[in-house]
Amino acid sequence: MDIRRSTLHQLLAGVAFLGLLAIVGPAPAGEVDLSDAVQLAHKKPHTAEQLKAFNDVFMEEVRKGDLLFHGDGATQEAMGVKLSATGMACAMCHPMSADIHPYEFPKFQEQIGKFATLRDMINWCIEKPNQGEKIESDSEAMKALEAYMYWSTKGSALDPGRH
Amino acid sequence: MSEHERMRREMDAVLRTPGAHPARSLRLTRRTFLHRSLLTGVAAGAASYGWFPLINTIDLAYGAEAPFKFAWLSDTHLYPKEVNTRFVEKTVRAAKEIQAMDPPADFLIFGGDIAQLGDPVELDLGNELLKEVTIKKVFIPGEHDWYLDMGEKWRALFGDANWTFDHKGVRFVGLDTISRAPDYWTAKGMSPQERMAHMSVLDGTVAGAWAGVGKDQLEWLTSALSDWDKAKPVVIFSHNPLYEVYPPWNFWVRDWRDVVAVLQPYTNVTNIHGHVHQPLYNEIGTMRSIGMLATSWPWPYPPTGVPALTQPMIRADPGDHFDGVGWSGLTVTEKDRVDTEYYIWGRTEPLAVAEADSGTSDNVNQRLSARIADNQWPY
Repeated sequence: MDIRRSTLHQLLAGVAFLGLLAIVGPAPAGEVDLSDAVQLAHKKPHTAEQLKAFNDVFMEEVRKGDLLFHGDGATQEAMGVKLSATGMACAMCHPMSADIHPYEFPKFQEQIGKFATLRDMINWCIEKPNQGEKIESDSEAMKALEAYMYWSTKGSALDPGRH
Repeated sequence: MSEHERMRREMDAVLRTPGAHPARSLRLTRRTFLHRSLLTGVAAGAASYGWFPLINTIDLAYGAEAPFKFAWLSDTHLYPKEVNTRFVEKTVRAAKEIQAMDPPADFLIFGGDIAQLGDPVELDLGNELLKEVTIKKVFIPGEHDWYLDMGEKWRALFGDANWTFDHKGVRFVGLDTISRAPDYWTAKGMSPQERMAHMSVLDGTVAGAWAGVGKDQLEWLTSALSDWDKAKPVVIFSHNPLYEVYPPWNFWVRDWRDVVAVLQPYTNVTNIHGHVHQPLYNEIGTMRSIGMLATSWPWPYPPTGVPALTQPMIRADPGDHFDGVGWSGLTVTEKDRVDTEYYIWGRTEPLAVAEADSGTSDNVNQRLSARIADNQWPY
């Protein structure tokens, strides 16, 4: 049964992939076109290429977040943010994201004096220790920073609310 | 168990032979007191915000010689003045407090990383600010001082990167643990600024675990100690710790086993180091190591490798740039003592008592990965 099912899956995947090609045309070599991802979401078996493409999107955010986190000037300029005015970068107090504990949010955050999300705390750090300009909570820069922090602490257990 | 952890345990088994420890006459105590600068001027305002100074004090003495104090300052990480005024402010404050020590210190040891990016402007600024301190000053370099011009400006200002002198029955040694990084720049055609930028990031992956003493300097150390009585105190200053805490952040020197081997015959060895921006304490064989505070910012404790003998610092408040940082005063007494006192600007009790206040309490649940973006050309 398993063998038959897996063959069927492969067949369906192949058909789905060909269908995708027919709709959107061939993607450039090494890339998968994700423009139909919403329509196709979970309705067809995923191909290895699709899964890789999803991961590539994530890792590109991680890469940008890594550069922002380490104070890269060009990336900040490209994304229109000024995260620090003192030469301090996030990574100077948090090498490898140490002591951020993103998996402990949301929680009561002493410095802010209220229940806070990771994004609230990121903005607090930008404004207070770094004396930079806070960023929109749903901005590209915020998403990239968040991606980097979660990725670099991957494997830590969720512990929301912990002091 | 990771390969790294396995090696660490193996080395421990070899080096930590039962009963081997630094002479018990050298002991570490922890005390707190209010620094006198709190009673006057600017610092009184700071006190009203609950800020207290941080000083690490070590008492050390040998036999009949007279007691004395010396001061440790390091990791000021100065940018040009206009870029970061807080770092300047804290360096000035430390310099004033060192100058005000009563009884005065016999000398000041600056333990490296006076500058942030090795810029001559930064090095000159540090030199200028330290003119406030008029006692004898000795310097060892940090990696932030060095990799723009490979130490040229630093040497012009502060002299040799390693040295030794005797003072009231103690042999003091300054070691250079930073200048022997494997060459990661030539093959990639990096500019001096790029070379410095990689070196200046603690969790960077391009420069790697670069810290080391080097064969040539080990030979120098062997000969620098050869005429010294093996029971008399030796104090070694280094930027990086002379043992292994956490290599990915260079909280180590790669040849620490060789260093321990050279020092093994000496029974009163104290290594005082910077770089880690946090109190650390360890004993390996007959050597004790004590980690000092920075004035610039505190590092978090690494996810692994913090010695069991370390009582961690309190968790610092990032909203208070005087918290979790400071400098150190060290006193040599007549009783062969090493007494350490940590003072943190902002604290009456610098070391954590309860787990919830500790800088390491969350680390059991913390998994960290090395960064990726600096290995992707052109970064």
